[in-house]
Amino acid sequence: MRWALAIGAFIVLIVHGIVFYDQFTNRWESQQKAYFEQARVQAKTDAERISLETRKPKIEQTIVTSFGDTHVDRCQTCHIAVDDPRFVTYQQPLHTHSYSEAMGDVQKNGRWERRHKFSDFGCTICHDGQGRGLTEFDAHGKDPYWPLPMLGYVSQKDWNKKYIPDLMGKDYIEVNCAQCHTEEKFAGTPHVAKGRTLFYEKGCYGCHRIEGMSAGTLGPDLSEVGNQRKVDYLWEHTVDPRSLVPTSFMPQFKLNDEEIKSLTIFLKSRRGMNFAETALDRYKFKVTPTVPQLGGTQESEAKLTPAARGDKLIHERACLSCHKLDNIDGGISPDLSYEGLMRNDTWLMDHFKNPRSRTPDSVMPAFAFPNDDYVALTAYLETRTTPPPPMSPEQTYKALCARCHGEKGEGNGMSAVYLDPAPRNLTRAEFMTHKPEARFMQAIADGVPGTSMPVWGKVLTEQQRKAVLDYIYATFVKESPKELKSRNVAEKNPVPMSPESVARGEAIFVARCTGCHGRKADGKGPNSLDISPRPRNLRNTAFVNDTSDKRFIESITYGVEGTAMPPWIDYGLSQNDIGDIVNFIRSMNEVKR
Amino acid sequence: MSDESTSKWKVITDLKTNVVKSIFRNPLPSSDRGRAATSFTNLFLHIQPVKVSKHSLKPTYTFGLGLICMFLFIILAVTGVLLMFYYVPSTTQAYDRMLDLRGAVAFGGFLRNMHRWAAHAMVAAVFLHMCRVFFTGAYKPPREFNWVVGVVLFLLTLFSSFTGYLLPWDQLAFWAITVGTSIAGYAPLVGKEMKFVLLGDSNVGQEALLRFYVLHIAVLPIVLSTFVAVHFWRIRKDGGLAKPEEADENAGFQTVTIPLYAQDGGVPMAAAATVAAPIELPRRTFTIQGLVRGPFVKVGKLKEDNVYSWPNLLEAELFVFVLTLVGVLLVSLFFNAPLEEPVNVMHPPNPAKAPWYFLGLQELVSYSAFWGGIGIPTIEVLMLFLLPYIDRTKVGVGRWFAKERLLPNTLFMLFAVINIILMVIGIFFRGANWEFVSPF
Repeated sequence: MRWALAIGAFIVLIVHGIVFYDQFTNRWESQQKAYFEQARVQAKTDAERISLETRKPKIEQTIVTSFGDTHVDRCQTCHIAVDDPRFVTYQQPLHTHSYSEAMGDVQKNGRWERRHKFSDFGCTICHDGQGRGLTEFDAHGKDPYWPLPMLGYVSQKDWNKKYIPDLMGKDYIEVNCAQCHTEEKFAGTPHVAKGRTLFYEKGCYGCHRIEGMSAGTLGPDLSEVGNQRKVDYLWEHTVDPRSLVPTSFMPQFKLNDEEIKSLTIFLKSRRGMNFAETALDRYKFKVTPTVPQLGGTQESEAKLTPAARGDKLIHERACLSCHKLDNIDGGISPDLSYEGLMRNDTWLMDHFKNPRSRTPDSVMPAFAFPNDDYVALTAYLETRTTPPPPMSPEQTYKALCARCHGEKGEGNGMSAVYLDPAPRNLTRAEFMTHKPEARFMQAIADGVPGTSMPVWGKVLTEQQRKAVLDYIYATFVKESPKELKSRNVAEKNPVPMSPESVARGEAIFVARCTGCHGRKADGKGPNSLDISPRPRNLRNTAFVNDTSDKRFIESITYGVEGTAMPPWIDYGLSQNDIGDIVNFIRSMNEVKR
Repeated sequence: MSDESTSKWKVITDLKTNVVKSIFRNPLPSSDRGRAATSFTNLFLHIQPVKVSKHSLKPTYTFGLGLICMFLFIILAVTGVLLMFYYVPSTTQAYDRMLDLRGAVAFGGFLRNMHRWAAHAMVAAVFLHMCRVFFTGAYKPPREFNWVVGVVLFLLTLFSSFTGYLLPWDQLAFWAITVGTSIAGYAPLVGKEMKFVLLGDSNVGQEALLRFYVLHIAVLPIVLSTFVAVHFWRIRKDGGLAKPEEADENAGFQTVTIPLYAQDGGVPMAAAATVAAPIELPRRTFTIQGLVRGPFVKVGKLKEDNVYSWPNLLEAELFVFVLTLVGVLLVSLFFNAPLEEPVNVMHPPNPAKAPWYFLGLQELVSYSAFWGGIGIPTIEVLMLFLLPYIDRTKVGVGRWFAKERLLPNTLFMLFAVINIILMVIGIFFRGANWEFVSPF
């Protein structure tokens, strides 16, 4: 036992030694000593030399209280030469902080005088990082748990490596310049200004709210997103929303790296804190409703006709960051080039005021424009009546259909991920060959209400439409239409509408249908994610009201080939049951006048 | 040693007002009498008996677990007090103080590490100590109530650890305590009230932080110390640690010759009877009255396996202390106590996990809020409290896994293993939304 005790005591001694050594040797001490050495070499007077010889390293701390939360900045403990102009050529950390006229620094008698003094501002107000840290890892904010890594210099372990090079650089400090210098066109924050412009130009304002700038409700409020997210999240989310939020329907906008950088810097600068404002200013701002200026005053446009004004608006209000018009294409939403041939005034006005009144699962935001703007836009779109030039069926498909249905007809065109219901997968032969041609011809000609399938009836001639359909059959379906068995399906629902029928239908629906169609009958049941095409949203009023009883009864009774809809006649539903279900579906979609 | 130095030393020690003698009144013992005297001539040593059974000192009997618990508690108290010089229980200041402790205070980080790892070690050690006491049957009469005191200490240890867990005021702390107090809120009738009393508010906030701080640094240490004192007192009064009866070689029978007397007059007959008489084993008494009232005791002639506390028990204690200290120091040297992001009420982590010793509970709660969080734990604790009053047999004391105690040992082992499995599942095998994930 005694020697074990001795070994134990020895280990205690060793550990104490290690801990003492570790605690009392600090890197910042050697940095300071190096500074004293170098400064002594460059000292001009004896007094200075002597004071540097006797100077002992100690923690240098600045406490800043005038800008919101108290900042305790110990950065100058290592960066001790930050105000010593003789150290401009030295490497970090013994490097002088740059002086520049752009920062407001002035030269007096050959010496620079700093406008943003360290005694007033500290360091972390501009650079972020962790003021209280005394090691490089802590102070620079490299710890992934620290919410404020140094802007533009530090990345954290859990950041996506692909984007780290884009997140480095001096420009990122503009984020914090903008906390005090909040003017829109401040010279020192060009990226913030560009980001603000892009926020409007790209249509972000339609979905997102930023206090004082926009009122969108479809996406999260970004007024304080700079406090909630680090720059890597903001960048990655802009580039590919679904990599961070799998259920997001935010589009992937066409942006180059410069634009993404400006947007990231702008969004990061939204910290909900304007140091230039007093608490009273902030309160007054909060209670005064502001109408964001959206470019183009009414007076200068008064001379324009509505259609001309609409033309101007459609280009200025960021519509084309999603939609396509002539050569400008956002790549996300339908092509509006032939809209005058597809939709009438009423449809367009309804759609502008609330897109979901016409397409219930649309992801287009309801922009809060004044009614006159909608009138102008509608007038302009109604002028788009020139059909496309004659093209071969293949060219026609590529130009008009592939945007949604995909190059290979698989229903995965550039817009497809934003459309609900999704565009039909035309390669699904089992579906395509079990429907009469007339049905597809009608869908192409008249569109499908409640979905984004446009009305091609006036854009293409019947000949052209038939040619495209034949092309589709030949290229994507690759099988010839099957002989369709004649089925005995009633034209109208044999069960009359009544509250009792609806109640029975609801009971059957809840028991048999909600697994796919969902408890809300919106097509989002638990099985819906595993089947393709997705189950129908039975609350899509425009669609349901345009669908005949016969089609409902046939689909429920005999199923839909090529989809997961089963033939319920084989699973015990009688004709009366099915009639009740149809009444239930209709009852959900009664248009109240 | 030269004559000069010895005479110098002698001169000093012969002085009438000898400083050294005024502090240390008794010289280091060199005789048995001196060794015995240490127990009543020194404040700190009077906690120990004069003699202690060799059996109690065997490392493979107790593994020093009780001592480990005590020493960890002392380490926690010392490091805790040192940390108290820098910590402020304010929602706005606490996290910054933790950062300063880690980065700017000399030994701050190391002391915090020691405190945290000693705390986790103490919870584990207390549990293992309880298992040891059970498996050696050391809760049997006369030690029943000491077991109950021990269970109380176990619960106090858990509560101390829980209150301390909140103090760093980071995401880990905040949400762990949110989960823990929510489980407490599931109790019927009193649940909501209990949660409000714990938190001082409906949610975890400044009130909870202050309350937990006061509990952690003042109330619980005082209560714990009191119960520890009772626990030690009881050990002394019960005659030291439980030991098996076979260890006493004097048990059994001795042949005794009894002279016989005739019935009339009392004239001794020339006859004698030889009987085997049981030896009255000296039942060790620890009250002064015992000296006057007890049976005739054979003193000094019986074989004993006792040794003097000085230096044997002290050596053993020192050894355990050094081992414990080395363990805590090494772990603190190589592993840093975690400090996550500052509290963000809008960002609960997924999953939000209670401290590791409550994760078995949280796993049960995921099956049933009441039964898992309140019902089963209450039943378990009640069973623990009532254990020595349910099992009153006196067999198998002082031996590990005595065959006579197969049933109780199996049941307890089952209880311990199930709890550990549940804890392991909760720690390693549960991910977001409490779904089953593989830790590999």
